[in-house]
Amino acid sequence: MKHTLIHLNSSPYANLSCKEGLDLALVLATFEQPVDLCLSGSALALLNNNQLPTAEHGKNLHKLLDGLEFYDIENIYIKSPSSVGESQHWQGTKPLNEAEWHALFSQYQQVFRF
Amino acid sequence: MQYTLLITGSPYQSKACHTALRFIRACIEKHPNAIKGVFFYGDAVLVGSQIPQPPRDEINLLQAWQDIAQEHNIPLYLCIAAAVRRGIISEEESRRYELKQHSLAENFQLEGLGTLVELIHTTQKVIQFR
Repeated sequence: MKHTLIHLNSSPYANLSCKEGLDLALVLATFEQPVDLCLSGSALALLNNNQLPTAEHGKNLHKLLDGLEFYDIENIYIKSPSSVGESQHWQGTKPLNEAEWHALFSQYQQVFRF
Repeated sequence: MQYTLLITGSPYQSKACHTALRFIRACIEKHPNAIKGVFFYGDAVLVGSQIPQPPRDEINLLQAWQDIAQEHNIPLYLCIAAAVRRGIISEEESRRYELKQHSLAENFQLEGLGTLVELIHTTQKVIQFR
């Protein structure tokens, strides 16, 4: 069984990449394939609490985060220190230091970026 | 070794579809059966529309993909959800949505992400072009 890392790097509201990356993670998990997530760059905006996107902004992807554990997606990594304020962001992430972050990508059979 | 290609880059905003073609040509020159399948996801599904007409002095990307698929028997899958939301509609989907037209090009087929999972499961390596 291949262990997959989905790396989200796009803003959740700039285009569909972030949503389609999350969709792939959910489908892999549905088929019982082990999958972890990591977020960087503009995708970190996904973690901000109290998001109120309009229809024009797109779907509220933040709401998906609490459901990830039900798909057995339990490892959601970010690089620490992140640009997101600790108190205002979703608490389910696992912060990694610089060295751990760089080592992360070689721990998986496949990494897909969105 | 058999490869699955996952292409996510738009044919208009990136060179993902072009680079993947070149990769396939290089690959099958040495190992004719090296490509198990190609899965287009995200904006890359736009390559499977039969409607766009590229200028005559530029590459016809759709034709290039159709040629390589026919010549080497390579299945080309478009993610159905990504395709339908972008207007790439098969005859079957056209009936389902009660539309008068369809736009899916020949040699391409609409499949769910489960097909990608199956490809991942049955090939040694998946390479993403974005």
